[in-house]
Amino acid sequence: MATSKLQALWNHPAGPKTIHFWAPTFKWGISIANIADFAKPPEKLSYPQQFAVTATGIIWSRYSMVITPKNWNLFSVNLAMAGTGLYQLSRKIRHDYFNEEETAALKE
Amino acid sequence: MSFFKTFLNSPVGPKTTHFWGPVANWGFVAAAMADIEKPPEMLSGNMTGVMCVYSALCMRFAWMVQPRNYLLLVCHASNETVQLYQLSRWAGGQGYLQLKEDKTPSP
Repeated sequence: MATSKLQALWNHPAGPKTIHFWAPTFKWGISIANIADFAKPPEKLSYPQQFAVTATGIIWSRYSMVITPKNWNLFSVNLAMAGTGLYQLSRKIRHDYFNEEETAALKE
Repeated sequence: MSFFKTFLNSPVGPKTTHFWGPVANWGFVAAAMADIEKPPEMLSGNMTGVMCVYSALCMRFAWMVQPRNYLLLVCHASNETVQLYQLSRWAGGQGYLQLKEDKTPSP
């Protein structure tokens, strides 16, 4: 019983033998790379890149809920992208704009 | 004029998600172009490497999906190109692309 279900999944038209599986699955790599970059100092982060990651994540999250059928897999991977992108943006903005105020206040 | 109308009403046109998803992905290309002059130390090897694999997969996806999505294909072909270039710049900055020191010069 379990074997035939596994076989059905294995042979699914959007299953692991097809690109329809691997392209969305590999999209997790973008969020994982971003999480690995949490350790990077904020000066080295790229505003354009993080903005692109965040915007893509938000737009695709929305559209994955609008299509038929709803694609929760696509939704979750893009939500993660938007989340990591927003966090990286907040780190860089905090570093660029709020640290300056602190050092300026200390000097006074 | 009729070409434009056909485009507007196409199954991968601007009234559909099949259009705006790929448009969002052009953001990656735009971001890479904005970062093209940045010093290699500022580039993220993690993200650039992942983008290279990801865009290759998405080119195949865009070709195989029904309906075939040429906009997505062109978007990821462009991204693949610019990310590979950035990856080569990053690798050069990391010292991966240096010649061996004991290489004999060619005659």
